[in-house]
Amino acid sequence: MEKCFEVRDLNLFYGEKQALKDINLDIYKNNVTALIGPSGCGKSTFLRCLDRMNDLVEGCKVVGQITKDGIDVNSDKQDVVDLRTKVGMVFQKPNPFPMSIFDNIAYGPRCQGLKDKKKLEEIVIKSLKDVALYDEVKDRLRDSAMGLSGGQQQRLCIARCIAMAPEVILMDEPTSALDPISTSKIEDLVLELKKDYTIVIVTHNMQQAARISDYTAFFLLGEMVEIDKTDVIFSKPSDQRTENYITGRFG
Amino acid sequence: MSRKFKDGILNGLTYISSIIGVLILGSIMVYLIVTGASSINWHLLSSDYYVETANAAVNEDYVYEAPGAYSGEGYYSKKWGVAFEDIVTAHKDEEIQVTYVDPNSPFNHMYSTVAGDDNAAISLTVGNTMQNIYYIDSATGEQVYLSQGSMESAENLVSVLDEAESIVSVNFQSLGGGIRGSIVSTLYLILISLLISLPIGIGAAIYLHEYAAKTKINSLIRQGIDTLTGVPSIIYGLMGVTVLFPVTQAFGATSTSILLGGLTLAIILLPTIISSTEEALIVVPQSLRDGSLSLGATKSQTIFKVVLPCAINGILTGVLLGIGRVIGESAALVYTTSTVINDNPTILSQGTSLALMIWSIMSGEQPNYELASAISLIILIIVFVINLVVKLIGKRLAKSFQ
Amino acid sequence: MFADAKRIRRNKTLDKIFRYLFLGMAVLSASFIVIIVLFIFLKGIAPFLPGYEYGQVDLISFLTGSVYRQDQATYGVGFIVINTLICSFLALLLSFPLSVLTALFIAKIAPKKLGAAMQSVIELLASVPSVVFGIFASGVITAIVRYLASMMGISTFGGSSLLAVIILLAIMIFPTLTSMSITAIKAVDPDLESASLALGATKTQTNFKVVLTAAKSGIFAGAILGLGRAFGEATAVSMVAGNKLFGPTIDLFDITRTLTSTILTGLKETTGLDYDIRFSVGLVLIAVIFVSNWILNQVKKRIGNQV
Repeated sequence: MEKCFEVRDLNLFYGEKQALKDINLDIYKNNVTALIGPSGCGKSTFLRCLDRMNDLVEGCKVVGQITKDGIDVNSDKQDVVDLRTKVGMVFQKPNPFPMSIFDNIAYGPRCQGLKDKKKLEEIVIKSLKDVALYDEVKDRLRDSAMGLSGGQQQRLCIARCIAMAPEVILMDEPTSALDPISTSKIEDLVLELKKDYTIVIVTHNMQQAARISDYTAFFLLGEMVEIDKTDVIFSKPSDQRTENYITGRFG
Repeated sequence: MSRKFKDGILNGLTYISSIIGVLILGSIMVYLIVTGASSINWHLLSSDYYVETANAAVNEDYVYEAPGAYSGEGYYSKKWGVAFEDIVTAHKDEEIQVTYVDPNSPFNHMYSTVAGDDNAAISLTVGNTMQNIYYIDSATGEQVYLSQGSMESAENLVSVLDEAESIVSVNFQSLGGGIRGSIVSTLYLILISLLISLPIGIGAAIYLHEYAAKTKINSLIRQGIDTLTGVPSIIYGLMGVTVLFPVTQAFGATSTSILLGGLTLAIILLPTIISSTEEALIVVPQSLRDGSLSLGATKSQTIFKVVLPCAINGILTGVLLGIGRVIGESAALVYTTSTVINDNPTILSQGTSLALMIWSIMSGEQPNYELASAISLIILIIVFVINLVVKLIGKRLAKSFQ
Repeated sequence: MFADAKRIRRNKTLDKIFRYLFLGMAVLSASFIVIIVLFIFLKGIAPFLPGYEYGQVDLISFLTGSVYRQDQATYGVGFIVINTLICSFLALLLSFPLSVLTALFIAKIAPKKLGAAMQSVIELLASVPSVVFGIFASGVITAIVRYLASMMGISTFGGSSLLAVIILLAIMIFPTLTSMSITAIKAVDPDLESASLALGATKTQTNFKVVLTAAKSGIFAGAILGLGRAFGEATAVSMVAGNKLFGPTIDLFDITRTLTSTILTGLKETTGLDYDIRFSVGLVLIAVIFVSNWILNQVKKRIGNQV
């Protein structure tokens, strides 16, 4: 299998505090990799390293290597904007921009200078269809995205991400603010999307990780305890701490 | 019991203080309304401040034909197609004012006899006051001079004129006492000051909130801007005339000017614009910025396309507060636009804003309380409305983004 | 997919340009305070330097002088500084208790709707322009002063007087003081109040003893701000000050002269030294505000420490 990210000896500091310790893992193309662990274990922080969203946090320092396509994403050779066009991100709480549904999805391509109306429309419609939202909103593409339900908003955010045709989609607990029905729709969507994209998903919900991921990494107190095929992690983990966590002894 | 009594007194004191506050605002309003409200009318808003005198002769070969019908106010001279009424001006002068001039009236077909006017066509218009008239008496056929005093009243004037054989020349004045020029100056000042302080203020607010890390230099920048708030406006005026005057000279100004006043006001407005923009930027959720950046937008694209549109209410608040400040400002303008009331202001001429006009007419030999109060009322109404709108926007701002 | 190298480069350059543009605007905004002080200093100091075109003025006699007469070219601002201090501090003294009580009323005592209405009254008062206060002062406050004076058998200059200035300034700083006090009172920790109530104090005792004490630092900050406004208030003051030529003025019914009224009055028909010296007066005004702010902030620190 082809590797998408190779992470070697990654350490991350917020000022004095170390948030990630010696992380080593590989993320494979066209797979769903789930990151699990108790809150504050560093899984979201790790996710945000992959598209350098931690650059925005004052006092944050990253040491170590994250290699994508042979380039260290933190090196000067990697343009951060370019990286983020290839690595999309979906956030915990749906965050549609206060503009129309159409403009939300056209936002990314427009930022890259795409002005052709026909092309934009094609992209918008295709992205909406990909997230199975098109039929629900096709009559109100010009209405504000703020009027959609929470689940619809999150699917819109995924569509917005897809519109950039990224290689990777990072998802940071994308269903934690949603009801069960919306959650299952998003899960179906993730399974659908992995044909075309590499997906890394942070989740609080172990059943979700078991249902949708191919690989699962368990994080604890800033360390990556272990990573393996999902069925292995959930049936016979090699580390006692992993077993304790997935059997519900803490978390 | 004594504890209750003591508490009652203390509470009572707070009530009394509040009542005093209400009384102050109330008495200001009552005073202004009693003194100024009766002077507010369309004439005040639409006419010049200065009285202009015209000397005009009636075209000798003009023959007045149709005796126009008239049913409006005043005493109507059917023979000459003109109507008058008696008024008392804002300056407490008794005058006879024109209320109607028939299109075919000879008073509409005159030429100016003032030297230098080259006999330009001129006509008597509604609102003018009559000063004196030369006419040919129909009984004696001789030219008679009718002074302002001997006109006596509008009724008398009409009866005298109806006896005349022809009108030779008239001397009349515009009424004056209007604030049109100052309204125009105020609009210029608002326009100039906002045009300059808005981009600079918004830019500075963006830097402070979106870019500035917590460094010493940045906190120095913030301190500098905060200190501007405490500078008295008269000091801004002194600064304007020394520092900014050369700038206006580059645009062709030869004296203090509305442009200079506008530039000075722009600096006064900066802290207001910056703080209200920044307050709105604070409310914009970080998740929207993250969302935009994660889609590969650059920081400036994120600011222009996502952050600023969300902060529009705060910017609007800044604009409104700025307009209120410009309308009310006087001390900073005394040194920069001059206190000369100008009926036809241009950007490079001197002139007074409404507030400065008040200062100008109050610091003269004979303060005109009625006119000053009338202008004050207009200013207060505008300022209060702005206040109300800002409050409504603030409520909406608190509700947006949950 | 949409990104080509050229566009990325262009976007990056644009991004940088905007960054520096915003930085430039922030620096420009902040630099105005330096420009103001620097240029008024340069212009204000000029008459005291040798070689000044209208004849050098003696700095010491300017600062300590007790006569300010344009017709005799005698310019002394010592008494004007004292006048300014007297006016402002007495105005603060008059306004302070009223403002604090009103703030307490709005924040703690009044029923919700009445408090909100009262807050609007304060906001409206705060938005009344200086020149409108000026008309009110010369129309109403002077009449009150005339009436008071005539009851005591004193004649005044049409009501223009130190007393009129004090009342006017007290009214003008009232909204500033009140709204700062409201903010300070509302910021008091509710647990502190609960603790006082739990100890058996009444609501009123708590308000006056605990809340006001806890808020005193913020209230004092309001007083400093109000005093700064009183020092710098120009148009309204010069409408009722009367512009006495010598002083200081201590008699409440006598006319007075403040730094700001000196800068403003008689500007229309003036040139030369009389025009330039106004910048020196402006410089003195800046110094007075700066020094008094510094002293009061030191006092505030002391008060803040001894809770």
